[in-house]
Amino acid sequence: MKPEQFVYVTYIRTTPEKLWQALTAPEFTQRYWLQTKQESAWKPGASWRCVNPEGKTIISGEIIEIEPPRKLVFTWRNETKPEITAEGHSRVTYGLEKQGASVKLTVLHEMDKPGSKLLQSVSDGWPLILASLQSLLETGEPLEETRRYVAC
Amino acid sequence: MQKPKLVYATYIRTTPKKMWDAITKPEFTRQYWGGAKNVSDWKKGSKWEHVFENEPDPVWITGKVLESTPPKRLVLSWADPDKLTDVSRVTYEIEAIDDMVCLKVTHDKLKAGSKMLRGVSWGWPRVLSSLKSFLETGKGLNIFCK
Repeated sequence: MKPEQFVYVTYIRTTPEKLWQALTAPEFTQRYWLQTKQESAWKPGASWRCVNPEGKTIISGEIIEIEPPRKLVFTWRNETKPEITAEGHSRVTYGLEKQGASVKLTVLHEMDKPGSKLLQSVSDGWPLILASLQSLLETGEPLEETRRYVAC
Repeated sequence: MQKPKLVYATYIRTTPKKMWDAITKPEFTRQYWGGAKNVSDWKKGSKWEHVFENEPDPVWITGKVLESTPPKRLVLSWADPDKLTDVSRVTYEIEAIDDMVCLKVTHDKLKAGSKMLRGVSWGWPRVLSSLKSFLETGKGLNIFCK
């Protein structure tokens, strides 16, 4: 069976090193990712968590592959909605590629089950988060809509 | 079988009016779309062209304006002037959300395996990332040379 997938490609005027930091460092992610932080030792096999402003884990997973500042693969399970948690782990791949004065960022989110509610929900979420990330890196200010935590 | 379709959504800190102008005014399009101008009077039924002025064959894409509701919705037919039998369709939808705009571009009626499908799959993420940079920073991205 063909796994379901969501792919988003965006180009950001920055360096791979700065983009890597923005994707992984808590002080950056909370600025454009609904005030959430990501906690991990960022090594293969290490746990990975996305934590809301109250300290609750909303997404959990594990680092599969890590090659700063080019590639990051990790698993992702929703921890807020039981029917979505029951779908189990999905997989996210970040690819960073320098192109002139910009970086091409590819986000691939995959789930090996058809009709995944998780994939449906992240397909709506990724474009806003990644647009806000581009705004933050290029203008110093993230998009207003992503500055507050909204349970989803 | 369903024909391939591309959907790309992005969020830009701007107004619907500025977004509309950025899509339809040649002096803006050339600043973020690899130097190309989009030329038309943007009225329903009018012709539109995607033009690289300094090229020997300047018109890269041609089509008709199928729907035009400024500053919310623009629907265009889209074809290579050398292959006018192969016509696809592009829909721009602009929605204001607080201090930003959600832009959704849908490119459908594409032919599976076509050169056009490959080209626009390569191009739209570049054009729309560059459009966002242009509207938010005043400068488009230089990412069309590869």
